[in-house]
Order: sequence, then C-alpha cells, then structure tokens
Amino acid sequence: MIEFKLNGETVSTGEDPNTPLLWVIRDTFKLKGSKFGCGAGLCGACTMHVDGVAVRTCILPVMAVADKNVTTIEGLSDTDDLHPLQRAWVAHSVPQCGYCQSGQIMSAAALLDNNPSPSAAEVESALAGNICRCGCYPRIKQAVLAASDAMPQFQNALSTRQEV
Amino acid sequence: MHIENVSRRRFLKTTAVVGGGVVIGFSLTGCSSPGPLPIELAEGGFVPNAFLQLLPDNTLRFYTPRDEMGQGVTTGLSTLLGEEFDFDPLDMDIRFAGVHEDYNNPGMGVQATGGSNATHAHFDQLRQVGANARALILAAAEHDLAIGQEQMSTDNGEILVGSERYPYGQFVKTAATLTPPTEAPLKAQSAFKYIGRESTRVDALAKSTGTAVFGIDIDLPGMHHAVVKRSPVAGAALQSFDAELVKTMPGVTDVIEIGSGIAVVAERYWQAKVAADALEVSWTSVPLSKVNSKTIRADYEVALTSNEALVPTDEGDVDAQWNSAEHVLEADYWTPFLSHAPLEPMNAVVRIQGNEAEVWSGTQGPVAAQGLVARFSGIDPERVKVHQTYLGGGFGRRGTLTHIIEATQIAVATGKPIHLLWSREDDLKHGLYRPASLMRLKAGVDAEGKILAWDAARAGGNISEDTIKNMMPALFPGLGDGMIDWTVGLAKGALKGWVTDPSSIEGLFEDYDQVHTRIKHTTINHGIPLTFWRSVGHSYTAFAKESMIDELALASGQDPVAFRLNNTQNKPRLQNVIRVAGEALQGMLPKQGHYLGFAAHHSFLTDVAQIAEVSVQAGRIHVHKVLCVVDCGIAVNPDIVRAQMEGAIMFGLTAALHGEHQIQDGEVMESNFDNYPILRMTEAPSVDVVIIPSTDKPTGVGEPGLPPIAPAVANAVYRATGQRLRSLPLRLA
Ligand code: FES
Ligand code: FES
Repeated sequence: MIEFKLNGETVSTGEDPNTPLLWVIRDTFKLKGSKFGCGAGLCGACTMHVDGVAVRTCILPVMAVADKNVTTIEGLSDTDDLHPLQRAWVAHSVPQCGYCQSGQIMSAAALLDNNPSPSAAEVESALAGNICRCGCYPRIKQAVLAASDAMPQFQNALSTRQEV
Repeated sequence: MHIENVSRRRFLKTTAVVGGGVVIGFSLTGCSSPGPLPIELAEGGFVPNAFLQLLPDNTLRFYTPRDEMGQGVTTGLSTLLGEEFDFDPLDMDIRFAGVHEDYNNPGMGVQATGGSNATHAHFDQLRQVGANARALILAAAEHDLAIGQEQMSTDNGEILVGSERYPYGQFVKTAATLTPPTEAPLKAQSAFKYIGRESTRVDALAKSTGTAVFGIDIDLPGMHHAVVKRSPVAGAALQSFDAELVKTMPGVTDVIEIGSGIAVVAERYWQAKVAADALEVSWTSVPLSKVNSKTIRADYEVALTSNEALVPTDEGDVDAQWNSAEHVLEADYWTPFLSHAPLEPMNAVVRIQGNEAEVWSGTQGPVAAQGLVARFSGIDPERVKVHQTYLGGGFGRRGTLTHIIEATQIAVATGKPIHLLWSREDDLKHGLYRPASLMRLKAGVDAEGKILAWDAARAGGNISEDTIKNMMPALFPGLGDGMIDWTVGLAKGALKGWVTDPSSIEGLFEDYDQVHTRIKHTTINHGIPLTFWRSVGHSYTAFAKESMIDELALASGQDPVAFRLNNTQNKPRLQNVIRVAGEALQGMLPKQGHYLGFAAHHSFLTDVAQIAEVSVQAGRIHVHKVLCVVDCGIAVNPDIVRAQMEGAIMFGLTAALHGEHQIQDGEVMESNFDNYPILRMTEAPSVDVVIIPSTDKPTGVGEPGLPPIAPAVANAVYRATGQRLRSLPLRLA
C-alpha cells in the first residue's frame, strides 16, 4: 500500500506502484479535473503539485509520492472561494475548449507560490511546458499577471488554502 | 480587477439528460417534429420548444443544439435566444441537447457542428424561438394578472409592471395552456442588450475549476478500459498476433480482434496500455506501404504537368494574357500533411444493456455517434441514447468517429461497459490528416498593377471523399457496406464529371478581381486518411495565393496594401478590412530588425486581414505581434470573436512554423509533441483584434482567422531576409 495526502486527506492505494499518479488520481480516486494529453511529460495537461512543486503526473509513478502532499485542481480552491488565478481566468474568459486549463492553472499557481510578482518573461518560462492547442496563450499570460498584481488583495484566500 | 460574483448557477452544467417525462418537439411553425424530445421534464417544467424548459422557480434550461469545442458556440447561441426571450445567458442552466431533428444545424440539415456556420445558421431561428416564447409568457401574464400587455415590459427573466416584478416561471402553468405564437416580432439591432455585449463566456468557470466534463472523464460502474493496437500503415490488415502472454498480464480481461486492430481490455487504463504495448502483432503490406514523403511530392509534381487534370473553372482567355501582361510570375507552393492534435485524445464510452445502448463522447455530430453505435451493435437508433460532453478541441477531427465504432465493437464483444482511449501516439500516427498539397500559381499583371490572369493548379488528396465515406455509415446506419461504396463512388463520379471537390481548392482564386481565371485540379490519393482540418482548403490555398499576391505587388513596384486595394474593387468587404489594416499598418513602428508582412483572405463568409511583425535571429523566425482586422457581421460576443482570432492565429502559427508529418514506408513518423511540436507560450505573439462594426448577419469566426497568418509571416520573412519561402512549415535556407 502506498499512502499519501491527496488535497489534504490521507489516502492509500494498492495499485501497481509503477502506475503513473495521473491514472491513480483519475481512475482510483475519481478526480477527473487533471487531464491526459500526451503521456510523455510534454504538454502539462496532467500537472499537479507534489509538496508544492508543479509535476507532470503522467510520467510520475505513484510510488514516488509516498508520504507526500499531492494537490490537484480540485484541491486548489472551492467554488465559493476561488483561487485568485481562477478568478482571473474567468474575468479574462481564458478557456476555449478548456482541456488544458487545469494544468495551466496548476503550473501558474506553483509559480505564484514561489514568485508572487513574476515578470511576463517569468510567466512564459514557467508555463512553457503547458501546451494550449486552442491558443489561449495571450489570455493565460494576462490572467497570471492580473492575478499576481491582485495577490495582496487575495491574501486571505491564499492563506486559507494553505492551511487545508 | 473587477470580478463578477460567480454563483453556482453560472456553472454550465453538463449533466447527462436522462429518462423522465416525454415531451413532444415543436418546430418553429408549431408543427411537431417526429419523435419525443430527449428532454427530462422537471417538476412543473414547461417546454414550449426543443430549446427551452422553464421551471416554476424561474430556472431556464437551454438545450444547446451545437457542440462546444472551445469556439464559444454555447455562449453565442444562448445569447441569441436570451436576447429575444430577455434572459441573461449567464443566468441560464445550459445543457447539451440529445439527438433530435429539431436540433439539426439549419445550415446543414443534419445535427452536426462545423464549417464555422453555427451563429450564422441559428441567428434567425434562435432569436425567433426566444421571441415566440417571450410573447407566450407575456400572454400568460396578461391572463393571470388581468393587466394589459401594453403595461408590461421584461427584464432578464422577469415581467415588469410599474414597480412590480414577476418572474417568468410564475406563468408556466397558464403558458402551457396557450398556443405559442410563431412569428413574434424581433428586436431592432439598436435594442440589443446581450448581443454585442462585452461578457465572459458561459463556460469559463467550469473550465477554470476542473469541473467541466469531457468524454474522457466519464466513469461508469463496472466500466472496463480499452486500448487498441492498430496497423502502423493505414488500411493494412491483421496478419497474426499472440494474445497469450498479454492475457495473463495484470488486470487484462479480454484481447480481441476488431475491425481496426487488436483491442486489449483491462480493469484499469494503465493495465490496458501496458499490455497493448507488450502485444506483438504483424500486418499485411498494402500499396501505401511503399509510399514515402518524397514519392508523394514527386507524384504531385508529375500530376501538375499531366493532362488528367479537371478544370472546374475556366473563365475568359487565360493563355491570351501572358503576352500582354507587364509581369508574369509563376511559382510552386507546398503544404504538408497535418494533424489536428486536439489536446483531448479521441475517446468514447459505450454501454450496451439488452437492446438499449448508450454512448458518451464529445463529438461534432451526436447523430453520427448514434448511427455508428446502432450500426455496429445492431440496436435500433431510437434505442441508442447519446450523451454529449464538452470537446477537448475539435478542429474538424471530431467529425469522424471511428473511435466510437471501436468502442461499440469492443462493448458488443465483451459485454462490458467500455471506456476506449487513444494515446497521443494513436492520435498522431493513426489519425486523419489535412492533405498535403502542391500548388502551382501563374499570374500576370498589367502596367497599372491590375491582375489580368490567374492560372492555378493543385495536386493532392480530396478532402470530402474520405470524409463522406467515413460519415455515411453513421448517417445511414441501415445502409450496407456495398451501398456505401456505391454511393460514395457515385459522389466521386459526379465530382469527376462536374466539378472538383470544392473543399480542396476553395480560396485558391476567388478573392481578387482578375477576369481571366483557370483552376486545374488533379486528385492523387495515396491512401492516407484525410478529413476537414480547421479552415479546410483555405488552410493551404491562402498561403499560396497571398504569397503570390505579395510577389506580384513587389514586381509591380506597389505597396502590398495598395496592390490589394486596387485588385479587390469587386469585393468591398474584403477591401475594407484590407484598408483598415493598411491604415493601422501606417501607425505600426516595428523595432529595429523587425519586419511586417501583410495578408488577407475571405473564408466562411468572413473577411480577415492580418499584419505579422516578425524578426529572424540566428536562423529562427520569431513572430512578435499580430494585428488582425475582421469583418464577421454582427459580433454576437465580441470577446469570443477576439478569442477565436487569437486561437486561429496560434493554430495557424503551429502550422506555419512547425507542423509537418513525414511518411516513411506508409507510416506516419511523428508520434508525440516532441517530434510534432505545438506552438508554446514562449513563441506566442501578442494579438490585437479590430472588429469592423456591422449590421450584417453574423458570419464565421472559428476558422477565418487562420488562413492569412502563414502568408503574413512568410511575407514578413521575405522582407527580413530576402528569402521567399514557398513551403510550409517555413524554414530558412
Ligand atoms: S499528459 Fe502529462 S505532460 Fe502531457
Ligand atoms: S483551451 Fe483548449 S487546449 Fe487550451
């Protein structure tokens, strides 16, 4: 059995330890917000946080997260208390098909946790691993910058989230 | 930053519509269409037509007839209906419609989404539906309140009488007893309050919280996962395979032969995937097995000089102009095979219980999904329930649904509910492709820079033929295979004698004023499966046409904008976007080392002009900025128009800078995003979109932003380097 924390709750799984974390989260724990786009660490659709770091979970064996903290898009916020990035995403109508957006937001959230006021170039390089086939890049960039500017006014939302 | 207070109601719900009360469909004329509507009747719910259900608590359910693949059609169509019904689309409970004739695309006569036509095709219909329903609610209110309608107005789902507000839902009981009007008057454009409004998308929140449901997310009790191992060469047949080893692998329950290959079924996706990777299969050799990228191009070159070409257009006397022309230019343009590569790979869930079947999948044609499940399970189409989901990208790829055939065959053979998922490798190597094209253009201009003659030839595969063949079994589930071959053959024969597949040459010659025009086409089909790809023929013809126009302008010593204005006198709307972009160009002051390229193109009834600001550093092309001027008639949601221009530009830049499939011994060589790169944020330009104000009916926005970008970049690269690049993707010598 492999035990880890999933969005703050302790969970355990008896799946084959080599199974990529993405599939354990989607098929065993039924959290479907994280997506499969390439299975090769190339598109970022499967991005989650492992101990606060944005990770491509389609190539991360579940055994690698034993005793660690895994956060998925479902654990980033709840609907009534959106993460500042999610508010910015809605305000800028960022998504088109929407399929890449969980991964984009999780990559951006990890960036802002470490660097609350990134430059445009820092946003670009932090999100360079996330493909958006619909081409929402200009809006993703704007929304991340807007959320970062807005960070002070959303400090409460952030600290509540980190306690979870 | 202002944040709207986003309530739960504003989630676009994607709950599958299941069972419940039977509701009879109403057409616009009030006559009922055949068959019950696939609408679940809520307690006290009132369904005046196929698109609406109004609940006593004033919830408005809108059953959206078109498929949401990111193009924003859900927002657009709910806005059309909401405008006349007077109900804010952001307050509607929007659901994907099931299969019913009432949901047919009025521009196609079938329940399908594509061709950038939805807003245009539904513009009158959904406004009329909304107006009729509003008139009905007003009549019911007049009855219940005993107040004349002349004292009433409406505001976002409420009837206003003096200072009193009455929710529409209060009147549903009475409304259900009245005859709905069929021709309630429509608003003047000046009175629009939702159409043209700057507003967020109705699906933005669901898609920012991971709660939007895509086909891949469907999870049923007892569901098993399937992975299919297919031939590396399209059309090759199975020779042998060894299932024994794989059958003993963890979780594997079934290893079976289906039409397209070997399906490995397991309890978990990952188990099926590992087992399928371990499976040894051998395949027969087919003619395509001898085909390589080089031989394809060589075959096209031969075709361009052959006498076999069809001549769908031959106006004036082209050959007589070459002598009198001041400048005559001739050039060849090459564009490769491309994948759609939507980020959500193909998938489908099929469950068969007795003589009932259900299918869940995000498709561009739910009726085709129904037809395929029926055909391959032997169950009547009426007993096949289709659950539409969001599409994780479409771009034309989700109009051909072989993955639904596979899932159905596996569900029938195993008796289990099946979740079938393609990998990215499956998507790129076993997909359907934008055809490669070789285009030869010859054009002559007079001393004033007027185009005299335009002689264009294309060699390549035919897009429609493959697509028709793939769609026929879906649309006519009762038709035998022989009949399908016969019907497609007939269509092909008809095309041969009459006109070339219009999709394959569209955009090659229509935009400019030349009097003498000849178009030739030679179909060369090597057996690589083809289909519609965002902007279809325009995706390559615009590159050839707008590159040639740039060369003609330079040869004539004219500015590329002035040259285009001079040659679009009969195309006022196209001419206007060129003019507006040209004026903007005057104000663009590119940084040192940056160069501007111009292109314009008409497609899907919409006119677009673009300017690309480009630099070339260390042999690499960088696109810094794009200005896009679009005339798409009335912009129902201006922000979505901008988003579609931005997205189409990024999609077109992937094709301009990276996109290319290589064929080796019949096999598509690219397998994932490392060798089939998609544009990334680090390469994405900033985009400014200018929308021309209009009183015309809305026209397409999903595709028309794509065709001009590759030639705009190529034309800028010429100015930066002196190199005229006539092949995509653009590669400097
Ligand atoms: S699915 Fe994990 S990086 Fe693409
Ligand atoms: S919104 Fe479609 S892939 Fe990003």
